[in-house]
Amino acid sequence: MNEIIRLRDVNKTYDGAVPLHVLRGIDMSVEKGELVSIMGASGSGKSTLLNILGILDNYDSGEYFLDGTLIKNLSENKAAEYRNKLIGFVFQSFNLINYKNAVENVALPLFYQGISRKKRNALAMEQLERMGLADRAHHLPGELSGGQKQRVAIARAMITDPALILADEPTGALDSQTSKDVMKIFRQLNEEEGKTIVIVTHDPGVAAQTNRLIRISDGVIAPDSPGTPEIPQLVISQ
Amino acid sequence: MIDLIREIMQTLRNNKLRTILTGVAVSWGVFMLITLLALAKGITDDFEQDVMGKNMTRLRVFGGRTSVPWEGNREGRRIRLDEKDLHTVPSGAKEYVEDVTTNIWGGSSVSTKDAKVNLSYSGVYPSAAKEQQIDDKMTEGRFLNQPDLDECRKVVVISDYYAGQLFPAEGESAVGKTVIINGLAFKVVGVYKSRWNRDVYIPFTTARLMASDRKDLGELSVNLKNVMNQEDGEEAEKQVKNILAKNHGFSPDDESAVWISNYFTNALQAQQGLGILDVSVWVLGILTLLTGIVGISNIMFVSVKERTHEIGIRRAIGAKPRKILIQILAEAVSITLIFGYIGIVMGTAVTQLIDHIFNESGMLGNPTVSLTIAFEVTVVLVLAGALAGLFPALKALKVKPVEALRDE
Repeated sequence: MNEIIRLRDVNKTYDGAVPLHVLRGIDMSVEKGELVSIMGASGSGKSTLLNILGILDNYDSGEYFLDGTLIKNLSENKAAEYRNKLIGFVFQSFNLINYKNAVENVALPLFYQGISRKKRNALAMEQLERMGLADRAHHLPGELSGGQKQRVAIARAMITDPALILADEPTGALDSQTSKDVMKIFRQLNEEEGKTIVIVTHDPGVAAQTNRLIRISDGVIAPDSPGTPEIPQLVISQ
Repeated sequence: MIDLIREIMQTLRNNKLRTILTGVAVSWGVFMLITLLALAKGITDDFEQDVMGKNMTRLRVFGGRTSVPWEGNREGRRIRLDEKDLHTVPSGAKEYVEDVTTNIWGGSSVSTKDAKVNLSYSGVYPSAAKEQQIDDKMTEGRFLNQPDLDECRKVVVISDYYAGQLFPAEGESAVGKTVIINGLAFKVVGVYKSRWNRDVYIPFTTARLMASDRKDLGELSVNLKNVMNQEDGEEAEKQVKNILAKNHGFSPDDESAVWISNYFTNALQAQQGLGILDVSVWVLGILTLLTGIVGISNIMFVSVKERTHEIGIRRAIGAKPRKILIQILAEAVSITLIFGYIGIVMGTAVTQLIDHIFNESGMLGNPTVSLTIAFEVTVVLVLAGALAGLFPALKALKVKPVEALRDE
């Protein structure tokens, strides 16, 4: 067993006039080297699950282990540290900082690790080269196409060599051809480097390109899409 | 540290116009602070040079008219200071009085064969040189001395300004020449050069011989000693007045029998006034600066609001809250410092200009900004910048990393 993600009976309720029980006992796990997609209708608790997986939000009860570490009631500092080291984020709207050029954007996570400018820029260049963007390294995000921006964002997610790449609708803002290119990159990272990737999407075409699909509806994992991988299938694919 | 500076420069460049407009308010505030401080310093320096430099530990006493009846004399009687006062005041108030001198004003013109200036003379003691601050300003010859007084010599000391008018021929020295005062021939024995003073001095004894009323001294100059504070000054004044009251038979409480101008207590009060001036300048300057600071705080709030999404992204990819706090604070301090120093430079330039212009006329001493003031202003700026950034930074701290997931 080499689990990157392990959720046990995770519950989350949003307080309000009418308390909203969004996650009702989520059980799921993701093995190292898996490429998994999570689908769900809006209001299904998909976004909340993503927030919890990305240590962007807390949950009320249950347990969440990320790469063997229990993620529960962390201080802001500790959460920031784990996000920085364990998770690489890829967002729907790219979320690049618009006044920083591609290299600086990619290098930013290393800035927060206190790595010297020279070293982090060199590492960032390496990542950009792998994404085929070496010639765009000193362009601002505004000067890049959507596909290029998303590749810069993937380079940024990769630069800390995280245990988990967490992508939120990574193709949501892209046309179909560019979407395919981006998905190809994810598959390559998964197949060639064994990166564990979780993609949250509502696009069945994207989900189809992943190795396993987890459906969430009404705050629980849908019965027809088991939250844990089927061991034999994994053995075959390896 | 260098990384932090780079980050700040990047964000400031990102909003150039807004940063500049906000910063100008700070520059203006600092400019006002510096200019006001410099002017106040100029006034203080000027006061210290030209007033405090003189012999301030003295009283000047003039005769007046009594306002209340006393010892059988009715009010309205004129008091004439005389020779007796000259001797009894120093002996009666030994504790505070060093010596007493006097002078007599008289005449209406000083002339030569060729030139004439309308000017009265002052009959003085040799100590007047020190009192009038011309003892070290003699350019030619000497000041009056004791033998001049003892022998009632007809000698005179004049200023270089009138020396030039009376003896216009170039290269001609006034010393040794003769001038006519009240129809009598006087020999010029000295010429002095002073920015403030152009009086004509003759020996006191000579002046008294020339005066119509030989008894009336007109004025006493009482040089004080052992006076340290306001109380000493007032006590000395009271003692002198009591002696005069006894000599001339008027009530010691009579406000108008003699007029005493107490240079010492006046100077103390003026000094206090200057202290207040200094404080009020700081208050005014800092209030002006405060408007600039509020502007910075405001713009930092806007900036934090605008960058909520960006801060969310930074938090999501691993920025600790402290990093965000430091960045916002450092941005506020940087804007304040940069534009503050622009204000310092402008303020210094303007005060130098004022210095240059007014130095000729001698209005202000030396209205320049010292290093201490520059340092104090820097401390004020850093504190002000930190204060300006504090509340926006605390607001930025509240931005949750989830913001990164929200669509712009």
